[in-house]
Amino acid sequence: MRKFCTLVAALGVAFALPACAPSTNSGNGKVHLTVLSWRPEDTAGYKKIFAAYEKSHSKVTIDFKPIKATDYLTILPNELKKSVGGPDVVQLKPYGPLQSYVKAGNLVPLDGQVNVGGWQDKVLQAAKGKDDGKLYGVPYALQTLQVLYNKKIFADQKIEPPKTWADFTAACDKLKKAGITPLATSGLQPWVLAIDHQIFGATRYGGNDFEQAVLTGKKNFTDPDYTASLGTVTGLKPYFPDQVTAIDYPDAQTLFTSGKAAMYPGGSYEIGPFTKTAPDIQIGFFDAPPAPGAKVDHALTSGYVDGSYGVNAHSEHKAEATELVKWMATPEFGQLYASTLKQISVVPGTTPGDPLLAQASQNYNDHGATYMMVVDFGYGNPLGRDQEGLALQKMLGGTSAADAGKLVQKGISAWFKPSGG
Amino acid sequence: MVQAQRRLRRPVGTGGGRPRRRVLLTFLLPALALYTVFIVYPLVSAAQYSVYSWSGNRQDGFAGLANFRDLFTKYPLSEQVWRALGHNCLFFIGTMLIQTTLGLTFAVLLHRSRRGKRFLQTAYTLPHLVSPIVVGYLWSLMLNPQFGAINAALRDVGLGSLAQPWRGDPHLALPVSIVVNAWQWIGFPMLLFGAALAGIPDEYEQAARVDGASSWQVFRRVTLPLLTPVLGIVTVLTFIGTFNVLDLIYALQGSHGNPEFSTDVLGLVFYRTAFENSDPNAIGQSCALAVCMFVLIFGVSLAANRVFRRMEERVR
Repeated sequence: MRKFCTLVAALGVAFALPACAPSTNSGNGKVHLTVLSWRPEDTAGYKKIFAAYEKSHSKVTIDFKPIKATDYLTILPNELKKSVGGPDVVQLKPYGPLQSYVKAGNLVPLDGQVNVGGWQDKVLQAAKGKDDGKLYGVPYALQTLQVLYNKKIFADQKIEPPKTWADFTAACDKLKKAGITPLATSGLQPWVLAIDHQIFGATRYGGNDFEQAVLTGKKNFTDPDYTASLGTVTGLKPYFPDQVTAIDYPDAQTLFTSGKAAMYPGGSYEIGPFTKTAPDIQIGFFDAPPAPGAKVDHALTSGYVDGSYGVNAHSEHKAEATELVKWMATPEFGQLYASTLKQISVVPGTTPGDPLLAQASQNYNDHGATYMMVVDFGYGNPLGRDQEGLALQKMLGGTSAADAGKLVQKGISAWFKPSGG
Repeated sequence: MVQAQRRLRRPVGTGGGRPRRRVLLTFLLPALALYTVFIVYPLVSAAQYSVYSWSGNRQDGFAGLANFRDLFTKYPLSEQVWRALGHNCLFFIGTMLIQTTLGLTFAVLLHRSRRGKRFLQTAYTLPHLVSPIVVGYLWSLMLNPQFGAINAALRDVGLGSLAQPWRGDPHLALPVSIVVNAWQWIGFPMLLFGAALAGIPDEYEQAARVDGASSWQVFRRVTLPLLTPVLGIVTVLTFIGTFNVLDLIYALQGSHGNPEFSTDVLGLVFYRTAFENSDPNAIGQSCALAVCMFVLIFGVSLAANRVFRRMEERVR
């Protein structure tokens, strides 16, 4: 019995000791910062980026600690609640999902500490508190939405990237006749349908003008232009894969990377993984041409900020952590980030290393539009993106566009109040 | 002297009598500690969290029953909770009809058969050993309209018209989930019924046969009533399992119970409310839902247990 008790005590001590040790230690006079992220696939890239920071900040070492994306949001609230031993810098979801952390006081306000002069307001909005307007993170990447296409299939079928809607549907018809699925997408996942809508329907509902009209209460989602824009997506059903309502997100990706589908409406974030999965595939992209009845006479490249990096209010090294996020707002970080991780950095004056992303970034600057369901209508339950996706699923099942519009309005008006005007 | 003799007759650890309190505690404490930390503590804290309002992970003021009221009055929760509850009920009924009926049938057939009994018992029980998440992904591949084996097989045998968007049709998605769930768990009732059948003395059947009872009459009038205790256990466990179902549907249909929430169940509503919710009061609302689910499952299980006990007594 005594032996047993000794064993239990020894095990207890063995488990308790590491738990008591702070996650940020100061061995050799160096400050050790922990950066929490949901991107395990970017570990090598971030190590390279942070090595550059450590070189110029000899008293700081950085531990990039990635957590599986699906687990991140269940773990982050607990990590930020730890009074000791929590992370110093955390990756934050943009817009609505950031607000819970702001309201809980988990993050350090960065106004006046980070140089974001010259940054677009729309970019900074991703990292701002909705109620207090303060900046709680440094945004890092912009994602753009467009139609990706397989260059070889287009060349084989003698198709050029379409400039008009008629060209687009003619290309789809030609591909279908050749036994190739024109557009790979998922009807099973509402958020994918919402992206489809932003890509094909933004010109029809009127892009940023409509967004502003809803924000100020002049229009809502029962507006005929908006409901017609929903119809733009469901009107493409003949060009989607067979039984599209049962096609999952990974299925749609596989259809495109395996060469069974010629086009893939999606985000710029897909280009990297697609080229990795299918190195032989030559990807090009184009903006969806203005849809019939479009309120905007030119194509739009929709975009949104992917997230930001903020400082944990319980960090034991707030000064050093703030210094690190300050660096994340510099062109040095922006360029390193863009080149190493093949993303579009939001730091002004940086260019993505990848030529496709450089073009997407250029397009967004020339004729960009806001992905409004994420940027403006993602601040409550239900998220605008999910509600719009649900409405589109119902339309694919036979619901009218007018009823779908009512459903979107019902969901968003559950928490959104227009600013008046 | 007497005590010494008793000790001699009963060496330590070979059973008989009640072990010393210290030994009992040593064996019970680890399990009790784990049970307290992982079951009792979360339950009690969820109940406490549910009566407070929250700003993210910060507990604000006492909210009374406001979070519970929100569940039933605030869109979209008000719609999702009732719809999901309905789906849980359908899931339970469907599982009882398919899984329990087939489980009982297989148990009866295997009880009578002499050849391949072990093999079939193992085969039917194997999916039980795989994680529901893995089963969900496996079936999502098989049911895939483009690359899946099921539609391909149907087309190959000339039954292409029966090839359906199994996971994408709002009318089919829930029944398909019920069938996949039954496929995984069918071995469980089968084993329980099998064990109970083995415990019924042959004389009962023989006596009924002498009285001129047919096979069906023997089963209906003799075997089935004697299976009432196991039927009770299977029903209650199926109820608990189907009202807690989450992982399989998450893997098959995603966190939104796609398409159009047609496979949404209470577990998924809880998951979304807790982890995919932009409302700062996510913890309060999700804990209120967890408390409601616990009360429902615990209450109904207790009541069902009592009903089956009475039925058992009547059989005796």
